Amino acid sequence: MVQMLPTAGAKDAAAEPTELIAAAVGGDARAFEHLYRRFSPRVYGLCLRLTGQREAAEDCTQDSFVAAWRALAGFEHRSRFSTWLHRIAVHSVLARRRGLRIDYEVPEPAAGLPDTADPGSDGPPLDLERAIARLPDGARHVLVLVGIYGFSHAEAAHALGVAEGTCKAQLHRARGLLTAALGLEKS
Amino acid sequence: MKVDTQKSLDELLAQLPRDIVPPRNLWRGISRRMDQNPRRVRPLVYAAAASVIGACVASAITWAVLHGQPAAPAAQLAAHPPAFDEPRNPSYVAARDDLELNFRERLSRLDPATRARIEASLAVIRRAHEDIRKALASDPSSPLLEQLWQSTWHDELDLYDHVVRATQPTMTRT
Repeated sequence: MVQMLPTAGAKDAAAEPTELIAAAVGGDARAFEHLYRRFSPRVYGLCLRLTGQREAAEDCTQDSFVAAWRALAGFEHRSRFSTWLHRIAVHSVLARRRGLRIDYEVPEPAAGLPDTADPGSDGPPLDLERAIARLPDGARHVLVLVGIYGFSHAEAAHALGVAEGTCKAQLHRARGLLTAALGLEKS
Repeated sequence: MKVDTQKSLDELLAQLPRDIVPPRNLWRGISRRMDQNPRRVRPLVYAAAASVIGACVASAITWAVLHGQPAAPAAQLAAHPPAFDEPRNPSYVAARDDLELNFRERLSRLDPATRARIEASLAVIRRAHEDIRKALASDPSSPLLEQLWQSTWHDELDLYDHVVRATQPTMTRT
């Protein structure tokens, strides 16, 4: 059973764990483990939606935290720690995909995604998760970053290594495909 | 109709959970990989040496620039001040002063030999910084000089930062 935490509507109200970050920067692995406990659900969620595959998301989450540990000395507090970590996660997903040349057309898309599709519930339909997982890579990546995780177009374009205009076009494409897939135009 | 459609899609997206707890404990694998490739804090003298090398390279390039090109009219200085404005930003200056204060305090705790090497390194960085400042006054539109100017600022701050972090009293390593 997948455990879910706050929805996309919830803001990042939590204060920056500056003491933990400072200790981790100084080499304290226990402090870094606390940071992992706190931030891994967001990183895993991001990786899962970007890859559409549970095993790949687990690998990318691990890659992200190992990369973050190695790069921590260079963390300069110019952005929030979570923002910095999410950029690393996106990079890990893209790097893994490039390295392994994986085509994320998996037989069971969205495996491992939250099963919140109770017919009577107010939650988002499971169809939405499946439809997102079936989007072409470029469109899915932009939709996940901008539409779900709140990146600006500039941030998403930078993280994905594409032009901002491409980012906007991919989001438009993703919206169109989702709207059609979910039959929203008929409602 | 189109607006309503887009709005309902946005609403659906907003309901999706952003956080999903990994189905298994991934920390064990992360911890193992951290142990295999431990991150090392560079010894202070190496950090100082690295900063000095950067400053010396900047100085050498500045010398080459000054002797390879005719100087621009001094009036350009007022017309084209360097775009790098961190040193003039009050919050930057305040943060830098805090860091320097902290650095001085930590420096005083080090053994005399290490302290002397770090202070010598700092002197080299500041000399390079001053050389570049003068060169920039003669050729204020040079992007290369501006980059070098920035790099010596950063070399100095990197040295402060490294000394402060490396002498953190509560630092533990596991």
